[in-house]
Amino acid sequence: MKTIGRISFRTNRLHQALLSWYVLLWIVLAIAPVDRKDWLLENLLAFAFVGVLAATYRMFPLSDASYVLITVFMSLHAIGAHYTYAQVPLGFWLKALLDLSRNHFDRIVHFAFGLLLAYPIREVLLRRAGVRGAWSYVLAVLAVMACSDFFEILESWVAQIVSPELGAAYLGTQGDVWDAQKDSTAASAGGVLGMLLTAAIRTSLPPRLKAAIP
Amino acid sequence: MLTTSSSSIRVEFNRNRLLQALFGWYVLFWTAMAIWPLDRPTWLLLNLLPVLFVAGLVLTSRHFPLSDMSYILITVFLTLHAIGSHYTYAKVPFGFWLQQMLDLQRNDFDRIVHFGFGFLMVYPLREVLMRAARVQGFWAYCLALNVVLAAAGLWEVIESWTARLVRPELGASFLGSQGDIWDAQKDIAAAFYGALLCIAMVVIARHVLEDESEDTANESELEAALGD
Repeated sequence: MKTIGRISFRTNRLHQALLSWYVLLWIVLAIAPVDRKDWLLENLLAFAFVGVLAATYRMFPLSDASYVLITVFMSLHAIGAHYTYAQVPLGFWLKALLDLSRNHFDRIVHFAFGLLLAYPIREVLLRRAGVRGAWSYVLAVLAVMACSDFFEILESWVAQIVSPELGAAYLGTQGDVWDAQKDSTAASAGGVLGMLLTAAIRTSLPPRLKAAIP
Repeated sequence: MLTTSSSSIRVEFNRNRLLQALFGWYVLFWTAMAIWPLDRPTWLLLNLLPVLFVAGLVLTSRHFPLSDMSYILITVFLTLHAIGSHYTYAKVPFGFWLQQMLDLQRNDFDRIVHFGFGFLMVYPLREVLMRAARVQGFWAYCLALNVVLAAAGLWEVIESWTARLVRPELGASFLGSQGDIWDAQKDIAAAFYGALLCIAMVVIARHVLEDESEDTANESELEAALGD
């Protein structure tokens, strides 16, 4: 998360690789999704998010670590959107392997949301909001929880207003009345784990590096 | 003088008539509501968190006292919750009255209190963030809103655990979903709207007060009371 020594996109091989990977994967998965309308709905927020990242890239570039984590999350979401989440092959394979009652790929991505995005959120809090020390970890977890809950609200709006018949597929409750609560729990658990890992890694760093990385 | 989130001073409990009144009111009201609740186990479940919360407030009142404004808002919220828990939320008379008046499908008192949670708690939360986490300006509002959303979501998660594990037979009543599959989302959304409304009011109030301060001689005193 060091703020010094950032290099422009033209010479940043890592950023070029991350963007190319995501664009390629996204195009491949956009060609023949299982359900085009559901795919479009799932991708609305993804478009907005990538737009924000592109717009803020010059003025407020994030650390390489943050961009890597965000790219992993966006890749998982691209896969989920292609298969309407409920029909991701990996999820079916897990279901058969562990004798589960449903395809759990969406739950995995909710967990990944917390695990992968708490770190970039903490970076923004440290650099922009002036949050320090333990508060940065706590507030990053709370922000992940808030985003996750806000996403559940958006989902319910979409399901109720835009297209009630598509709602169930988009919502991906797969018939579970506690689905929203479990999704929220998964994201929170992911966020807590992500911040514990971050704190553990930071503690194990030599003092010289610790000063450079907040 | 009533202290607000950005006042530099706090008046301690022993000399603070307002705080004594708030505390006395809540203890009296809570006791009255505790005598004959409609359903004792539900009442007990719903009062676990408030008891912990009030204990926390009492413990922190010496070393980290909140402003009078925050304590007023918290007392209003706890009072609403005391009413709700007395009637298991789904049977609050005021909710039935509203249901008839507005031709609603359900007793919406719980929804009102979820809204109230956001509206009344975002201000104290912002105060804690400003003073303990040293967050300022836009970020104080933004992060306080985050905490309201996170807490509202956590409440729904706790509700679902309670409904499934502790007392399955109490579930429907404690959950208070009254048969609505979108109940959890609507509750969280209500808290979100409440917090947004309070934030809008605080922002407007601060602008109005800042404009007035331009005409007064003791500008610095007002600024100290309002924060930057």
